[in-house]
Amino acid sequence: MIVYLIAVPLLALLAVIQSTILSHLELFEGRPDLILLAVVGWSLAGRAEEAMVWGMIGGLFLDLLSGLPFGSSAIALILVAFLVSLSEGRFWEAHLLMPLGVTLVASLTFHILGMGAVLLTGRALDPSLALTRVILPSTFLNLVLALPTSQLAEGLRDRLFPPEVEI
Amino acid sequence: MRRSTSQAIIAVTLILLATGLLVLSLSGHLAPLQGLILHPLSGVQSWIALRVAATRELLFSPRDIASLREEIARLESEVTRLQQEIISLREQAAEAEILAALLDYARAQPESSYKAANVIGQDVSPFLRSIWINAGSDTGFSRGMPVITQRGLVGRIVEVFPTMARVQLITDPEASVNVKLQQSRTDGLLAPQLNGELWVDLIDQTATVSQGELVLTSGLGGKYPTDIPVGQILNVRRRDYELFQQAVIQPSVDFDDIDIVLVITNFHPLPLEHSAP
Repeated sequence: MIVYLIAVPLLALLAVIQSTILSHLELFEGRPDLILLAVVGWSLAGRAEEAMVWGMIGGLFLDLLSGLPFGSSAIALILVAFLVSLSEGRFWEAHLLMPLGVTLVASLTFHILGMGAVLLTGRALDPSLALTRVILPSTFLNLVLALPTSQLAEGLRDRLFPPEVEI
Repeated sequence: MRRSTSQAIIAVTLILLATGLLVLSLSGHLAPLQGLILHPLSGVQSWIALRVAATRELLFSPRDIASLREEIARLESEVTRLQQEIISLREQAAEAEILAALLDYARAQPESSYKAANVIGQDVSPFLRSIWINAGSDTGFSRGMPVITQRGLVGRIVEVFPTMARVQLITDPEASVNVKLQQSRTDGLLAPQLNGELWVDLIDQTATVSQGELVLTSGLGGKYPTDIPVGQILNVRRRDYELFQQAVIQPSVDFDDIDIVLVITNFHPLPLEHSAP
């Protein structure tokens, strides 16, 4: 329960930061996706089920501050969290570069689903321009932040759920 | 195996829940709830946006950097509280400067009623070009109201909540503005491109369009009042085999640097299309 008590204000704050601060830190038209990074980080920290709920809550906050249909980002983030959860228990799970690979897939999936939502609303969108100006720059920025986010998520997990030690 | 099944069940449940919210939202049933949640969010967003604007002003304005250095030298012995107060006053002065310019514009256009609002954020989706302002239906704003600065047209309100509203910029590919060219007295249609360029399309082939010519709203279509500056012609594309000529324009407004806008509250636009998100 404490996870969600922390998650709601944290994700709300991240959504506000995404709208106010990150809109000024663009690479072409791409921005880092803080809530995506939080969801992926929490999932990689071994809290996949909670990460899916984080995806839903964070996605709804994003949708509140977006012209996209309410719920579309939530669906995309739940799917991303589910995809990340599939990596659990695989032999590469403990690899140092695991967060980068997962973030790459998660970021591309999130933006392609976002682009799908835009197209479904009947808006004009050039996929090749979207890829070069939004999706790839955003993915690059997400990759830059992937490792620190992953470390932060693991730190938060260890603080909230300290590993049991047998004496 | 059992764990992955339970994760799939959670994912499917959450997606169904989100889809339900999506349907409720599309039918308009969630608007009061969204307004309720946005009320505290807009407060936090305004607070952060003001500080971001102050920081950007300090970091990116050469004039301010120079004066800030002087002030730092002069105020070295002052306590931190006083330094913060100076930054705050500085931001207020910049805001007052903008408001004075907006007031001058409003005085020059007495036929319209204006209300000012702060820009508190941009659309979180990089695919949409819109901004959030810190006032909504509680202030008397409604969908379709045109939004301007002292430099020219910004866009129009497309979504309203009690304490905030979303403004679709004229650079959004979904926005269409009927315009006229000031010197050649010909009409055209503003056609924002997906790459961010602003084009004026449907210009009569016989019109002589010159570089630097001012582009204004024509008022046709009833979406915007007449004679609001939109931009200036950068270059013209004219081909003999085409029905119309096109022109690329430089917008009057710097859309990356808007802090305060004016909403024209006494203009009654024609109803927005249902397809507009």
